[in-house]
Amino acid sequence: MSSSDPTSWSISPRIRRRDLLMGMAAAGGVAALSTLSFRYLTTANPQVSRQAQLERSVPFFGIHQAGIITPPPASALVVAFDITAATKADLIKLFQTLTQRIEFLTTGGTSADLNSKYPPNDSGILGTQIVPDNLTVTLAVGASLFDQRFGLSHLKPIRLATMPGFHNDQLDPNLCHGDLLLQLCANHIETSLHALRDIMKHASKYMLIRWQIDGFVSPNTLSKPHTTSQRNLLGFKDGTQNLDVTDAQFMDRIVWVQSNIGEPSWATGGTYQVVRIIRNLVERWDRTPLIDQEQIIGRSKDRGTPLGMKHEEDIPDYAKDPTGKKIPLDAHIRLANPRTEESKANLILRRGYNYSRGVDAAGQLDMGLLFVCFQADLEKGFITVQNRLNGEALEEYIKPIGGGFFFALPGVIDQSRYLGQTLLEGWFEGLTT
Amino acid sequence: MSNRNVRYCQLCVAAVIMTLTIDACSSHQSTSNISDQPTHSSATAVDAPVKVTQSKLGTVITDYKAYVVGEVNKLADNTKVFTDAIKAGDLHKAQSLYAGTREHYERIEPVAELFSDLDGAIDARADDFAQKEKDPKWTGFHRIEMTLFQDKTTQGLAPLANKLMKDVSLLKAKVATLKIEPKVMVGGTGELVEEMSSKKITGEEDRYSGSDLSDFQANLDGSKKIVDLLQEQVHKTDPNLLTRIDENFNKIDTGIAKYKTTDGMFNGYVNYKKLTQSDRKALQSTLASLAEDLSLLRGTLGVS
Repeated sequence: MSSSDPTSWSISPRIRRRDLLMGMAAAGGVAALSTLSFRYLTTANPQVSRQAQLERSVPFFGIHQAGIITPPPASALVVAFDITAATKADLIKLFQTLTQRIEFLTTGGTSADLNSKYPPNDSGILGTQIVPDNLTVTLAVGASLFDQRFGLSHLKPIRLATMPGFHNDQLDPNLCHGDLLLQLCANHIETSLHALRDIMKHASKYMLIRWQIDGFVSPNTLSKPHTTSQRNLLGFKDGTQNLDVTDAQFMDRIVWVQSNIGEPSWATGGTYQVVRIIRNLVERWDRTPLIDQEQIIGRSKDRGTPLGMKHEEDIPDYAKDPTGKKIPLDAHIRLANPRTEESKANLILRRGYNYSRGVDAAGQLDMGLLFVCFQADLEKGFITVQNRLNGEALEEYIKPIGGGFFFALPGVIDQSRYLGQTLLEGWFEGLTT
Repeated sequence: MSNRNVRYCQLCVAAVIMTLTIDACSSHQSTSNISDQPTHSSATAVDAPVKVTQSKLGTVITDYKAYVVGEVNKLADNTKVFTDAIKAGDLHKAQSLYAGTREHYERIEPVAELFSDLDGAIDARADDFAQKEKDPKWTGFHRIEMTLFQDKTTQGLAPLANKLMKDVSLLKAKVATLKIEPKVMVGGTGELVEEMSSKKITGEEDRYSGSDLSDFQANLDGSKKIVDLLQEQVHKTDPNLLTRIDENFNKIDTGIAKYKTTDGMFNGYVNYKKLTQSDRKALQSTLASLAEDLSLLRGTLGVS
C-alpha cells in the first residue's frame, strides 16, 4: 500500500530482510524475555473502572505469542480461515499484514484523519481512539496449510493433523478445521469484533472466514491458586486444577515446543492449540438429579470440591478409592486426570470459554463450552486425555460439534519480524544448524 | 370542549411551533456552515457537488446513461420474446431465454434499483415476502423461474408474464428520462460487486434454475463498464488503484472462464452447482478485495 493510500495506517515501514538478519544476533539473548511479566495484567475486574480496563494492554512482542499463558479476559472470539493466497509470496504478505494489524490493535492508537468522500479507515466501534482493552490476537496454523499449495509439507509439525472425529463427536463440517486460526481475547467483545473487522479489511484478499464462534467467562475474581470463580454452563466450577502459568520451567515442559523434541526447528516456542466446540444439552442436564450431576462430574456443584473432600483445591487420592465409591470410575475429573505418575505427561493448559448461539431446530438452547487447550505434544496432551474420556458418563449430556487441531506460531521478538517468518523463510533453521 | 381537550389542543399547537422552530434552526445552521467556509477547498465540493463532479466527469455520465438506456431497451425486447414463449406454452424456449433476458437487468442493477417498487416487482426473491414462495404478492423473474425450473411448466404463468412485461416497459420509460447522478454511477460499480459477493456467490439468486453464473457475469460486465468509463480520471489521481482493480477483474474473469459452455441453457454458463468449493472461495476473496478498492473510487474522484 502506498503511503497516500487512505486505508493505510501510520505504521513505519519495516520487516526488511537485512534488518531480520541483523536482529539474529540478538536472538540468543531473547530467552530472558520468556518470563513474561504478566502479573500486572489482570482479568476484567469489576473493581477496576471501565476506562482503566480499556487502557490495559498485553505486550505483543516476545518469544511466545500472547493469549496462551496470559490471563484469559472476559471475552473470546475464535475465527478459522481458509487461505486464498495463491503463491508463497502472497502468503508471506498475508502473515506480514496480520502481524502489523495485530501489533497495532493490541497496542492501540488513533485512526487516521477522515476524508468523508472515502469510507472511514476504521469501523469506529471503539471511537477514534483505538484502545487495547487487554486484546490479544493469537495466530495458529492448521494441517491443511502444509498441503501442496505452498511447498511447506516438509515443515509440518510432527503431531499436526486434521482433527479426527472422536467417540462422541458429531462434527459439523461448517464448524471445523481451517488453514489459519485467530484467537482474539479482550475485556470486551466489541474490542475483538473491532479487531476482526480491521483484520478482514486488510487481509480479505488472501483469506476468507471459514467459521467463527465467540465465548465469554465471568471475570475470575479469586486470587487463590487452584481455585476458580468460573463456572461452565453445566453450572459447575471449571478450571480449578489448571496449570500454574507462573512456573516458567513447567510451561516450557508442558506448553512450549522445545528445540530438542523432534519438531521442525521453526516451531520452537510455539504450541499445539486444540479448539473444541462442545455443545451442552442443557435442558436435559437441568432435569437431572443433583446427585447424578455431581457423580458425572466428580465434584460438588456448590463449592466445586472433589466428592468426599473438603476443599476445592484438594487432590483426590484415587488409589484409596479403587472401585469409585466416592468418585465414580467414569466421572469426568477422574478420567480427565487420573492423577497417576504416567498421567503427569498428559497435562494440558486449558483456556475455556462458554458460548451461546441461540436455539436449534428443535427449539433447544444451543450453548456449551468453547474449549481451548495448549500443549507441547498433541499426542501426549489432548489426544490422550480425550481418548481417556471416551465413554465418560457425561457424554449423554454433551456433543462436540466443531473445532480443530492447530499449531500456534512462535512469537515475534521485535518489529523486524513477522509471525510465521521462521516457517515461511526458514532462515532460523539455516542459521542455527 | 372540555378543559382537558382545550389543554390537549394547546399542547398540539405548542408542539407544532416547536417543530417549526427546530426545522428553521437546523436549516439555517446548515446554510451558515457552508457559507462560513467559502475559502476551504473541500467546501466547494460540498457547496455544489453535482456541478463540480459532473463537469469533472464530463461526457462520462452521458456515456453511461447511453449504456444504461441500451441495456434497458434490450431488456424490454428480450422480455417480450421471453414472455411470449411463456404464453405460447413453450417451456424449453422460455427456460433457455431466462438467463439471457435477466442479464440486461443485472448489468444496470444500481440504476434499476433506484425504482424500488419496480425492482421489487421485477427482481424480488421469495425470501422478501411474509409467506415466502406461497405469497401472492411475489411477482417477477424469480417467481416465474420457480414455475419454469422447479415445476417445469408454463401453466398458470400468463398473468405473471404480462405483469413482468408491463413492469419492464415502465422501467424502460422511467430510465429514459432519468438523470443519473455521479454518485450513482461511481458507487454503482462497487454496488454490483457487493451484489456478487453477497447474493450471486451463494447461489441463492437463481436457486431454481442454477443460472447464477450468468447473473454473476452480468454484474461483472456492469461494474467493468463503469470502471472503463472512469479509467482516465482514476488513472490521473491513483494509477495504482486502477491497476489493482484491473488485476482483480482479470482474476474473476479467469476464475469463471472455465465454467463457460456452448450449451445454451444458461446464457453461456454451466449450472451454478458445478462451481467447486475452492473456486468459489478464491472468487469470494477476490471479490472482497475488489470491493475494498472500488469503495475508494468516490473518494479518489472527489464525488460527494
